[in-house]
Amino acid sequence: MKIRFKVTSALLTTIRIDLRRPHPFAHERVGFIAAGLAAAHDELFILAREYRPVRDDEYLPDPRVGAMMSAEAIRRARQWAMDDRVAIFHVHTHGGQGIPGFSGIDIRENGKFVPNFISVAPHSVHGAIVLSDKSAFGQVWIDRTSPQPFIAKFSEVGMPLRSWSTI
Amino acid sequence: MSRLDRQSFLGPQSDAVLDAATIGIVGLGGGGSHIAQQTAHMGVGGYVNADPDVIEDTNTNRLIGGTLADVAVSLPKVTIAERLIRGLQPNARILSIQKDWHAAVDDLKLCDVILGAVDGFKEREQLERFARKHLIPYIDIGMDVHDLGTKGFLVSGQVILSMPGAPCMRCCGFITDERLEQEAKRYGAAGSRPQVVWSNGVLASTAVGLLTQILTPWYPNPPTFVFLDYDGNKGTIIRNQRMELLKNHVCPHHPPDETGDPLFDIRQQSFASRPTILPSGIAPWYRRMWNRLRKRPD
Repeated sequence: MKIRFKVTSALLTTIRIDLRRPHPFAHERVGFIAAGLAAAHDELFILAREYRPVRDDEYLPDPRVGAMMSAEAIRRARQWAMDDRVAIFHVHTHGGQGIPGFSGIDIRENGKFVPNFISVAPHSVHGAIVLSDKSAFGQVWIDRTSPQPFIAKFSEVGMPLRSWSTI
Repeated sequence: MSRLDRQSFLGPQSDAVLDAATIGIVGLGGGGSHIAQQTAHMGVGGYVNADPDVIEDTNTNRLIGGTLADVAVSLPKVTIAERLIRGLQPNARILSIQKDWHAAVDDLKLCDVILGAVDGFKEREQLERFARKHLIPYIDIGMDVHDLGTKGFLVSGQVILSMPGAPCMRCCGFITDERLEQEAKRYGAAGSRPQVVWSNGVLASTAVGLLTQILTPWYPNPPTFVFLDYDGNKGTIIRNQRMELLKNHVCPHHPPDETGDPLFDIRQQSFASRPTILPSGIAPWYRRMWNRLRKRPD
């Protein structure tokens, strides 16, 4: 199965602008993208619909990480997955120009909270995305036990259409 | 020097971008055949061509690449398009689907852009909705000939770029419930609508220009919503006034929450490889012999 993530330029711009806002104490901002899913042949399409930032009061002070979400932030995102039957992707940015990658902390934290979305919305895949200023990289949880594949291709749908492969 | 050298202003990566692109062409008649020809000239590498029809005698006034010999053997329009493309892009990735586009949805989902040259508003609306659901830019072309009585005829048409998130064909006022209703009433009694090669050429060329803007633009910040009116009597193609009026309009007809398959369930979904698309190449000797005996083209 090949996984392709598609997002409109307008939505991606909105996300990047939002994630650049300073927070009173957290070093970076995070949010969630809701997506619809479709499939064709051996490809899974993750089709971004909407972005919701984590609220200012849902960050926890933790000097060891760039941003630590509260349980309430995750609970709200899980509710969103369940109510709207959507795939949820955690998103943050590392800035820069090239294809970004997850840090060790990202990998550890994603592995902790992303499977929680599968318990409430097992019909969808869920995952995490990290952005740069020009690109993106992501990983997908299909269920609680299978390996978590990386997103093979991103498409930014706008004028122009931009696509990049990450694996 | 490559055969695409004269279009190098499209950017240093343009050959690769165009070759990597896959476009869907729905309707390979008067409009779509022009699009197939021009995109092949430009070096587009992937095609999903869908049209259920075979060429008929009355198509030869406008179907690019179609010949009288093709009429004699009732060659499918998608086969004519494939032959046309292969003459320029021998290794193109072509899926020729001689069926209604609804039978090709899985292949169309994989397209970067879909170009529609179809008859009727219902067909257009369905195609646009499909494209929006899968975040695929859709370019629509269409022409018409209006009887002006003693003043002769008016040849007109439109080209619309429907980009996900931007205004749609309903926002344009091009697709309306009234038009759909009128079309439904006329269903089965429409007869042959007038179609001519030159206006199809103008509209298809404009659509291919928009496609190029999407894939490898040659100037910064081209508009994401395009609605152009063609007047074949005046010889003009101009921006419809709504293009300016709807510049920052948020489309209410295709909300983001309609994106994707509403019933999708990863637990039920099976994934199977797409059939390999290889150039057709030369038919086996016995087939060529048979074709010659039957006076069919190879």
